[in-house]
Amino acid sequence: MTRPPRLEEKVVRGFSWAAALAVPAIVGILLGFLLWRGVPGLSLSLFFGDTPPLDAMLRSAPVFDGLWPACQGTLSLVILAMGLAVPLGIASGIYLAEYATGRLRRVLSFCVDLLAGIPSILMGLFGFALILLLRKTVAPVANTGLLLSALCLALLVLPYLISTTRLAVQGLPHALRLTGASLGFSHGQVVARILLPAAMHGIFCGVILAIGRAAEDTAVILLTGVVANAGAPSSLTGKYEALPFHIYYLAAEYQTPAQLTQAFAAALVLLGLTGLMFAMARCLHARLDKKWKTGTSH
Amino acid sequence: MENGNKPLNSSVIRIEDLCVSFGGVPVIRHLDLEIGRGGPTFLLGRSGSGKTTLLRAINRLNECFPGSETRGRVALHVGGAWIEAYAPGTSLERLRRQAGMVFQSPNVLPLSIARNLVLPLKTTLSLPDDECELRMEAALREVHLWDEVEDRLAVPASTLSGGQQQRLCLARALALRPEILLLDEPTASLDFKAARQIEDLLAELKSRYTLVVVSHSLSQAHRLAERVLVLRDGGSIEALPENVFRDRDALLAVMDEIV
Amino acid sequence: MSLTTNRLCERVLFCVTAVSALSVLAIFAFLLWFAVPVFRGEALGSLLSWHWRPLRGEFGILPMLTGSLCLAVSSMLLAYPLALGLCCFVHGAGAARAARPLLAVVRFMTSVPTVVYGLVSVFLLVPIIRSAFSGSGFSWLAAGMTLAVLIIPTLVLLIDSQFRQVQESIGQTAAALGFTPVQQLLRLTLPLSRRGLGMAATLGFGRAIGDTLIPLMLAGNAARPPQSLLDPLRTLTSHIALVVATDSQSLVYSSLFACGVFLFLVSLLINLGNQALRGRRVSDD
Repeated sequence: MTRPPRLEEKVVRGFSWAAALAVPAIVGILLGFLLWRGVPGLSLSLFFGDTPPLDAMLRSAPVFDGLWPACQGTLSLVILAMGLAVPLGIASGIYLAEYATGRLRRVLSFCVDLLAGIPSILMGLFGFALILLLRKTVAPVANTGLLLSALCLALLVLPYLISTTRLAVQGLPHALRLTGASLGFSHGQVVARILLPAAMHGIFCGVILAIGRAAEDTAVILLTGVVANAGAPSSLTGKYEALPFHIYYLAAEYQTPAQLTQAFAAALVLLGLTGLMFAMARCLHARLDKKWKTGTSH
Repeated sequence: MENGNKPLNSSVIRIEDLCVSFGGVPVIRHLDLEIGRGGPTFLLGRSGSGKTTLLRAINRLNECFPGSETRGRVALHVGGAWIEAYAPGTSLERLRRQAGMVFQSPNVLPLSIARNLVLPLKTTLSLPDDECELRMEAALREVHLWDEVEDRLAVPASTLSGGQQQRLCLARALALRPEILLLDEPTASLDFKAARQIEDLLAELKSRYTLVVVSHSLSQAHRLAERVLVLRDGGSIEALPENVFRDRDALLAVMDEIV
Repeated sequence: MSLTTNRLCERVLFCVTAVSALSVLAIFAFLLWFAVPVFRGEALGSLLSWHWRPLRGEFGILPMLTGSLCLAVSSMLLAYPLALGLCCFVHGAGAARAARPLLAVVRFMTSVPTVVYGLVSVFLLVPIIRSAFSGSGFSWLAAGMTLAVLIIPTLVLLIDSQFRQVQESIGQTAAALGFTPVQQLLRLTLPLSRRGLGMAATLGFGRAIGDTLIPLMLAGNAARPPQSLLDPLRTLTSHIALVVATDSQSLVYSSLFACGVFLFLVSLLINLGNQALRGRRVSDD
């Protein structure tokens, strides 16, 4: 017994279709424009300028007018930031999922949620404040640089890691814990030998997404040491270049059409990088799951 | 304490004045009972009467649920001596290995068949690899699963049938060399044929282990039980005399009246 | 693992978690500390004025506060209906087969870096606005539209997971009662999702107000409250980024930290609002 759809149902339907068509259209236009302006710029010289690639990569020959230093900078940043954030984030996520209870858990969770909601520019400002403090007290020559940026980026992605780890562990069926207990596993053994391996794919996905987030951030590094021209990252306390800032800088300060094309090509490179991270996260999901189930090694 | 016609030659589990509550709601109140060697000793009773809670009180698994409170004494005779389950110095992990548990729905770990058996051995007993392999094979043979799985040990355990999974869980518990086996409705989620296989297995195991079985099935109790205890709404426990539970009609009549 | 090893592990994990949690307090403490010179003295009065003229000693950040609010609210007004419409499409008002590819597109959007959205808008959207209307094109409109596109994926994923939850519990029941998908959506799913929809709104708003790069690249950066959609504006976030880049006296920096304190308090409020919407379920999370 169906009756003809009422007006409000028609409106909802029409509106939904409009939205469902508009959003992919916007994405399509965006991608299309990016490809149109950026693909002409894709070439080896985009990365290395006039310097031969092997020299640049192996013999640290300086690269002018190329993206390679910025790529190196972004890579160093991401490695440092993840090195700081991953152990901290996973451990905290496990603690919140399996050990913390009651009021302590609520307070800690609230702090983590708050950290997640802080605008990224404030992480940068925090780093900046750190340098000001150091200048006034122990190290008058302290300046912004790679390590500081990595620290602030680590703070930025920490809540992501904590949340995904926590959700992955909490989402495991209760029966697993009960089984472990009934076999004589202590709580620590249940967590380490049963729960953690079972949650690994979720945790790994969180790590990969965090890598993507750290690679694309611009606001934090703006305040903590990124510059337009610094060559390859030389030391932990020196200035450095980074891919997202390079794009921003070129967009604002380009002087020739070639530089603008370089900006679009760089944007394609960055998008490719973050898109790859994203695709990896979804692929590895299934692969790791299967690997643990068959468990060939003891 | 009534024990029916047969005197207990040796008791293995002694429970005194056991009280268990969850979140303030009492589930077991002032329970006393003794469970003898071998068996199987069947625990029958209405749903919600606390049978599973009672079983879990023996290996202290109730503590894995929030808000649980237990008072009273549970003593087990394992390893040639009596140990107090709830004494502060008792090793919880050792207790749970010596009183192995099998659950209502087979709870295989999301691992391969081999790893299901080997992981507990390596983790809780820290056995070397070759010893683990030996125990694994022995346990699988004991539950008559070895012939069915010996060529696919690396396959996920979840691919086994329900009956096979339950036997795997049993093997997993047996590999730890317990003296007591606690079985919480072990055939409830299995089909008829698989259930019969488990029952035949229990009949074999009773000579080597002390079996305590919680069951909903009167016919299963009738067929298998050596002793039958009926739990009435957490308060009292009554041992059914042998002439009652060996006779199907008598058993039905008594159960109808009790529950 | 002995009992002491277990306890040690728990202690270590606790310390690590405490460090993570305390870092948020550290951030607030630093911001507050450096904003103190401005909160004391007459500079406080000038902070809450409408004029940002550092060379004349006027550090009013109200224009930036207005800019932030205008931009965030307007982009939410654009993005939320689109996100909601898309989710309605996926959950009943549209073709079920299109759901997966549509959500894949949205998930792809989350991986697009903010700077890329900004770049495309600068060279695609701004010229269009410039030619269609007067002005330079770098305006509230440009930033608002781009910011809306930026936050749509966040909103969609949040609303979608909320709809899914509701769907799981009432889907079969509704079908058995003879509801069409659209009726189920309108009469059951939407009303039952009120709380989740509210939470999506607060989180989306938080994301919008916290973004730096879009206003920096697209909004024109004039330190005046906007009078119309085509006027340039500056947000608290882009203000911080702009001012740090210039070398100036320390009182300017202090005003920056005051902006930071404001922003922190805003995100604190948003978080509290979110918790209130979640209700007593907080203890499970």
